[in-house]
Parts: sequence; C-alpha cells; structure tokens
Amino acid sequence: MKHKMLVVVLALALILPAAAVQAQGDGVTLQFWHTYNETSPENEMLVTTLIPMFEEAHPGIKVESVPFPYGEFRQTLLTSLAGGEGPDLARLDIIWSPEFAALGVLEPLDEIMPDFEELAAAVFPGPLSTNVYDGHTYGLPLDTNTRVFMWNKTLYERAGLEGPPATIDELKAQCEPIKALGDDIYLFSDGGTYGWAVLPWIWSFGGDITDPEITRASGYLNSEATVAAYEFLAEMVNSGCFSPSFLGGGMDTGQGYFNDIFASMLDGPWMFPIAEAQYPDFEIQAALMPAGPGGSISVVGGENIAVFKGSRDTEAALEFLRFTQSDEYQLKMSEVGQLTVKPALLEDEYFQNHPYYGVFLEQLQTARARTPHPTWTQMEEILSDAGQLILRGEASAQEALDAAAEEIDSLLAEGL
Amino acid sequence: MPAQSQIHARPRRVPLLAGRLSRPAGAHLRYRWYVPYLFLLPGLSLYLLWMVYPLGYEFYISFFDWKIMPGQTSQYIGLENYRRVLDDKYFWLSLENTVRYTVVTVIGQMVIGLALAVLVHRVFIAKRLFRAIYYLPVVTSWVVVSFLFQFIFSSHPGGLANYVLTQLGLLSAPVAWMSETKTAWVIIYTLGIWKGIGWSMVIFLAALQGIPVELYEAAAIDGAGEWGQFRRVTLPLIRRTTLFVLVALIIGGFQVFISVYLITGGGPLHRTEVVLSYMYDRAFDRLWFGYGAAISYILAAIVVFISFVQMRFFRQTDEE
Repeated sequence: MKHKMLVVVLALALILPAAAVQAQGDGVTLQFWHTYNETSPENEMLVTTLIPMFEEAHPGIKVESVPFPYGEFRQTLLTSLAGGEGPDLARLDIIWSPEFAALGVLEPLDEIMPDFEELAAAVFPGPLSTNVYDGHTYGLPLDTNTRVFMWNKTLYERAGLEGPPATIDELKAQCEPIKALGDDIYLFSDGGTYGWAVLPWIWSFGGDITDPEITRASGYLNSEATVAAYEFLAEMVNSGCFSPSFLGGGMDTGQGYFNDIFASMLDGPWMFPIAEAQYPDFEIQAALMPAGPGGSISVVGGENIAVFKGSRDTEAALEFLRFTQSDEYQLKMSEVGQLTVKPALLEDEYFQNHPYYGVFLEQLQTARARTPHPTWTQMEEILSDAGQLILRGEASAQEALDAAAEEIDSLLAEGL
Repeated sequence: MPAQSQIHARPRRVPLLAGRLSRPAGAHLRYRWYVPYLFLLPGLSLYLLWMVYPLGYEFYISFFDWKIMPGQTSQYIGLENYRRVLDDKYFWLSLENTVRYTVVTVIGQMVIGLALAVLVHRVFIAKRLFRAIYYLPVVTSWVVVSFLFQFIFSSHPGGLANYVLTQLGLLSAPVAWMSETKTAWVIIYTLGIWKGIGWSMVIFLAALQGIPVELYEAAAIDGAGEWGQFRRVTLPLIRRTTLFVLVALIIGGFQVFISVYLITGGGPLHRTEVVLSYMYDRAFDRLWFGYGAAISYILAAIVVFISFVQMRFFRQTDEE
C-alpha cells in the first residue's frame, strides 16, 4: 500500500511541472537584458510602468527584465550567447553593437522587419548608424546622450568663481582658486583614461583616433593635436588640478562631485534623476564642454536595442522592440534621464520647457561617437594604457601615442 | 598493504564460528573484480565528467583558433597559440608576477604559520580558541575578503588603512593604493598571506603534536636551549610536513586569481596581472579561447614540473 502511494506521488510530481508548462503554452516569456541602473528611477520606470503597459496591450507575451551592472554586461552576454542561453532582446551600449553584429548573433532588422524603413526614418541618423555593420542594420537606437560640463556651485562660490569656463584655457585658470580651498579638493575629475573620458578632450583639442574610414590610427592618434590634449591632461593631473582618479581606483567621480570634493566633471543626463533621488538638496549646474582649438566637442553615448538570433519567439521580440520605439516609451524614459532618439518628440512641450535637456541637445549638435568598429574594445584598451603611461609620466605623450597608433594600425589591418 | 591482507584473511580463519552470518554477505564479493569499481562509480563519473573531460577538451581547444559562437567554425592552427603565448610580453610579465607572488606569499605563510603553530602548541589555556581564530580566514570566501581589502585600502583619506596609518604618523599623506603597482601588490600579498597562515599553522601544529616530549627533554639535558631544540629537534622532525606544506602552497600560489581579478583586475597597465587573470582576460574578454587554453596548459606544465623537482629533491636528501 505504502509503495503504491509513493508511486502515485512520484508520478504526480513528474506530471505537475509539465502541466504547469502546458498551462502557459500559448504565451511566451521574453528575456530582456539591459543595464538600466537599478539604483536610479529608470529601472523602476521599465519594470513598474512600461513592461506592464506592453503586456497589457499584448496578451500572451510576457517580458522578463534582467538588469546587469554595466561593467559585467558585455562579458556575461558573450558567455551566455556562447552557451546558447542568451536573451531574446538586449539593450546594448552603442559601442558594442558592431562587435555583436560581427559575431553573427544579432538579427538583421532591415531584412526581417517589413516596417523597418518607417521605424528607421523616425530616429536620429547618428545613433541609428551605430547599428550598421557590413551593410545591414542590426538594431534600433533606444536612447542617446552626451557628456556636458557639470560644475559644483558650492565650491565655485567658495572659490569666488563666477561660473563655468567657456574654454579650456579658462578652465585651466580656475585651478588656482579651487586649489586654494584645500589640497584634497580638485578642479575636475574622471575615472580613468578610457575613451568615454579622454575623447572629449582629444576632439576639443582638434585631435582624433583614426581616419574617418577607420583604416589607420597613425597620423591621427599621434597627431600634434592629440598629443597636445594628452599633454594637457598630464599637466593637470600632475599639478593636482585634476584628481588622481584619472589613474584608476580613485574616488567615484559622481560621489566626489556631490560631496563637494570635485568642483566639476563631465557627465550625462542620468545624473539629474540620481541627484534628485540621492542628494535632493544638491543643484547640478550644467554647461557645454569647454571649447578648445577644435571646438566644444563631447562624446555621444547611448544604447541600442537588438533582437538575438535563436530568440524563443522572434515576432514577439520584434513587437517589444517596436514598443520601445513608440512615443510613449520614449517620453516615459526621457522623464528619467534617458533622452529620446526621436527628433519629432523634441517639438513636444515636454522638451521645450525641460529644466535640463536643453544643454544636452545643444551639445549633441557637435558631439561625436566613439569609433564604431568591431575591435573597439581592443582599441580602447590600447588607448587607455597609453593614457596611463602618459599621466604617470612614464612616457612622453608623443612616444606613447606613436606606439599606440602603431598597435591600432595592426589591429585594424588584422580585423576581429 | 597490511590492511588489505587482513580483510582477505578473515573469512578463512573464522568459518566455523561465524558460519552463515559472514559468508553470503562478504565471501563472494571478493571474487567479483568489478565490485570496488561500482562503489567508485558515482564519484568517478563526476570526476570524469567535470574534471577529466573538460581538461581534455581544453587541450584540444588549445590547437584551434577557437570560436565560441554557435555557427562559427574553428580553425585548426597547430601550435600557433603556444607560439604566440610564448611571444607575448604580457604573458611573461604575468608569469614573473605569479612567481614573485608565490615566493613572497609562500615564505610569509610558512614562516608566520610555523611561528604561530609553535606558539599555539605551547598555550595551555584556550588552545582551541586560538586555533579557531587563526584558522578563520582560511574558511572565509575569497570574494568577500577581496572586497573587504578593497574597502580597507580605499584611496580615500578616510579609508581604514589610510586613516590609521596617517594618524599613527606612518604615512604623511593618504596613498592611492590601487592605482600604484607597488602598493597594489602590498594589498594582494597581504591578503594572500593573511588568508593562508591558518592553514599552514594547523598542519604544522599537527606535526608538532606528533613529536615525543622525551626528545625535547633529552635535548635539554644535552644542554640545548630553546633555539637549539627548535633547530635540532623540531625542524628535522617536521621535515616531511614542511615539504607537504611547501608543495601545496606553491601549487596554490601559482593559481592565484580571485584576489587579483577582484582587487586590481590586473591593472594598472597589466602590471599586476598574474597568469590566470591574464588567461581569463584573453579568453573571456577577447574571446581568444584557444589562446587562453594554451596559457592554461603552459601554466599547468610549469606547476607539474616544479612539484616534480621538489619531490625528487626532497626524496634525495631524505635518502642521504
């Protein structure tokens, strides 16, 4: 008797999970992997407002949001894809799109979406172009941003400074009054010598990384203007004007800015919602990137959304992708610091009267994107290492950049 | 050997007394050669599946320009990966760093571990408590203590190490521990030694407890002082233990990874890179899996070679 009971229980135990799967058989659960910041309102907006909105409009499709810290995301995604356990959709930093496209894991949207042309026409061409690899478009832009010059009013006032510098020379002149406030107060800070940090300086000095066709770095990365940009950074770090966080491992830039340790930084629109949530009394002051001989040129950031080959349900995934391109999604995300990629929306009252997007939209007029190339991650490592050698005074800017240019040349010649 | 022959001998000696009880269960088991293997099977199959198979597969991968994405084809390139690794300045730098880490931390762990073992051996009150306290770091998670060390050695003036050392007047200004190569090593070495001391202490302690007290008494009568007893009695008698600890620690030292990966990530400029963190970077960041596999096999060959030489050396001096 006992045995029979056991058999029945076991049999039931085996059947029940299968039945549960059966029950939701007509529906599909899509996995959406992203790096929306979990400690800022953008993730909450996605999970509590936007996804439910989508699910209500599309019965049978569920969307599971899986957030990752930015630093781990690329690698986690790569290994998961290799193991055949990737997501259906992901929000990719614009700089990763060419690499994933080159690996052959993304769906070419221009081939599989009948309404692709229509969607593509509704977004800014610049961010859209970051999805193009080898003649096909592997994603659509989700949000765009750039870094602007944010200054700390308290420190500026204490130092007797009137306002933000319009030029790099003016910025340099602000060092002395700021340093007078104390040795552990810095005029400016950034977290390292990676592209996102150094490119605004390189471009504003009139320098560059490669030729426009991305075939070689020699003559660009080691040009007089790029060398001057690095020499400026080295001088500022060594004289204690810019914080030693440039050498890595230092204090978090945003934290130092909010806590009156760093008088200025370059950062994106998401800092406003973060300030509102974590430092409600703090008033961020934003201005354009100080201009150099090359103008006031900042770096374009942003994310794309892409659908992966081997999705559980490609049609459903495309449906969610369409939803992210809708006015609703774009406007809601703009409320939490994710600037829209649809120019038509900027006519909207919301943006016309917006407290802080104006300066970003102005900066975006001249901002440039990091080299859209599948080997960018490797190029950036070379760039970042060269920057460290220069800032640590272990090589002259010319020497380090000559060597880096040569390395990037051979990388571009070899391909991925 | 003696243990085995006893088991075989037992049924023959006691057939009359034990009779029915012992025979059916034990007697014919020994005729079936495969029975021991049946008992080994669960563990062995896991070992084969999770250790031997991946190791073999990795060896195979090391001869390919390996592509991990489904649908891509990997190309056989013979020894090319090995040639490129041996030509890679960062590989040699990481190997040099690994050797230096091993030398520093193995000496640190052995000397301090032995000193603590001698001390704890002599403590009569709360011996277990001391043993447990010193052993505690060994059972903590590498990940957790790596993060803890990162906080302790924060470059902020208010970081624990900076604060305490400046207050004591040992430092004139706060140090950016993580961004300078030398100070980054100080953190990694300190962590490696601190975390390993407990293990070598426990092993040494066990060896010390095995030394008969009479030997010390005899040595004392012969006029040996404390130091003399330590040198002439203790050290020679814990030789084998010392060898064991040395070999095990060296193997462990060559495999240093988590602390480096989490504390400095190999930076700045790959200067704190060790072999495994470099392997991880090339394999999982650049997706050069064939290259990473080749690095692993080169490291494995080095470790096997060193252990072999050590064993031979000790056996030789033992025979003398």
